[in-house]
Amino acid sequence: MPTLDDEFLVTVLHDVGDSFTIPSAGPSAILGRVHRDDDERAGRRRGAGGVGRVGEDGRVGEDAEGAESEEPTPSPLRTARRTIRSTVRSHRILTAAAAVLVLLVAAGGAAVLGSSGPKANTFGHATPPTASPATTSPSTTSPRAPFGVAHTPAGAKAAGSTSAGSGGGVAAPTLSAPATSSAGTTTNGTSNGSATQNAAGLGADAIGQPARIEQTGSLDLHVARGAVSATVDRLDALAGDNNGFVATSQTESGTSGGAPSGTVTLDVPVTSFSTVLGEAEALGKVSQLTTNATDVTAQYVDLQSQITALEASRQQYLTIMTKASSIGDVLAVQAQLDSLQSQIQQLQGQLAVLGSETDYSKVTIVVNETATPPHHRPVAVPSGLAKAWHDSVHGFVAGGEGLIRIAGPALFALLCLGAALLGGQLFWRRLQRRNL
Amino acid sequence: MVEHRLEDWLEEGYAGSFRTACLILGNRADAEEAVQDAFLRAWRFRDALTSVPSIKPWLYRVVVNSCYSKLRQEIPHREHRAGDGELAERMASTSDPASAAERSEVAGVVLAALQRLPVSLRVPVVLRYYADLSERDIALAIGRRPGTVKSRLHEARRRLADDPGILLLGANGALDDSVEA
Repeated sequence: MPTLDDEFLVTVLHDVGDSFTIPSAGPSAILGRVHRDDDERAGRRRGAGGVGRVGEDGRVGEDAEGAESEEPTPSPLRTARRTIRSTVRSHRILTAAAAVLVLLVAAGGAAVLGSSGPKANTFGHATPPTASPATTSPSTTSPRAPFGVAHTPAGAKAAGSTSAGSGGGVAAPTLSAPATSSAGTTTNGTSNGSATQNAAGLGADAIGQPARIEQTGSLDLHVARGAVSATVDRLDALAGDNNGFVATSQTESGTSGGAPSGTVTLDVPVTSFSTVLGEAEALGKVSQLTTNATDVTAQYVDLQSQITALEASRQQYLTIMTKASSIGDVLAVQAQLDSLQSQIQQLQGQLAVLGSETDYSKVTIVVNETATPPHHRPVAVPSGLAKAWHDSVHGFVAGGEGLIRIAGPALFALLCLGAALLGGQLFWRRLQRRNL
Repeated sequence: MVEHRLEDWLEEGYAGSFRTACLILGNRADAEEAVQDAFLRAWRFRDALTSVPSIKPWLYRVVVNSCYSKLRQEIPHREHRAGDGELAERMASTSDPASAAERSEVAGVVLAALQRLPVSLRVPVVLRYYADLSERDIALAIGRRPGTVKSRLHEARRRLADDPGILLLGANGALDDSVEA
């Protein structure tokens, strides 16, 4: 590979270099500036008690510049500013990359903050209903209705239900609840509602009539293998203990291939409704619990009013009957009396049914077998080593999950940093090429 | 402690520093400013001379650093090479017009070739073959090891040998008409 010899280069460069004429005013200009600067700085240097320092590399150090400054001892703020400026000047690529990174982090943080606002409940819980204004008149005292059911005045019919499934979804009462109503709470698929109030114990409404509430409930129970019959027997006894009775009972032995099961419908006094439900829940594992309450006070009062009116009419017809003088008049009045009597009896029958429905609650319990006994399953208490091992595995898994969780943002940040560094490097190379 | 006199520095080093800066920067105005800045800095921190072995490489180091500063700040906005008009102006004092024209042309070719070298190679070449610094002094001046200086000089010579402008010059540094033809 051919190279130029030293002598040729010395000759050529001296020829070219010597061809530059020396500016005549150059040295004098330097002298003038130096003398001027010396005069100006002499006093300050004496005040500062020292002179600037320069390294052996000939560069003008920052310390030296500090000594030239107006202040004998530069303030920390000024020193820091000078240091930052010097660092930025000498590390432009890193500064640009750091600025880009800071911008990216700030943008990412803003995006994260923007997206972390109020989130919808994603755990499957239904949002509790917003209490709507009570529909009762101000003079009406709302009775405490069980399971969050509001009592409404005459003319309105209120019904509420709570249902709980073992699947995790928890349904809140679907009716708007006035402030005086107690909302039922559900835990692990069971409903612990407040005790059902006796209809007689409920507060009277505007017309002085105690509230009439129809209550029904259904319960799906899972019991241990072979315990269906025993559970049904216990339910029978439970109804008797609470002054109720078994309305229907059906048991399948499972001989046709299916698992043994039983369905029992209990009629219990409304005062014992929650007690019976609670005790029935204790007999097995509850997979579903549904309760329903309907206010039939308006219907009850309406029937009573109709009966009262018909009896008054009947009484008037009886008075007319005593004054009848002809057979035709007697027969006509008798026909009206028969019609009225029939209507009165019909309404009294409806009233009796309604009264029975509000005095007694129906609880339908479906009993099924499960492979493992739900309640008496022994809970293994881990020993110290087992617990430590379990905690260790759990920690390992949690650590892995955490790593995976932060891998995405970290990868993004690394990519951004890499891109910024690459861009800065390319820019720097291009800048250097331009300078060269 | 040695008493320094700026007048002595200027008398001894201004011409060489200015022409060195001209060769490095390829621009007379920038070279004048760079040398002025360099002498001001050197004089301002002349007390540091007690800790350096020799004044000449130290002074050249200050000059080179000023040139680097000029290259970073000024050159991207200017022509890298001195224009023909400037060269002609420089040669105006020559008595023989033909000789002046030829010298101007040679200077332009060499200067252009120098400017085509990277600064990292151009500075050692100028310091070595114009300022007559040793490789060790060049290493002190540019803050690199002597081995680095040697390899840079070799690389610079190789590139200059391949430079189309240098190929036009004869062995004596004059334009070779046969090669040009």
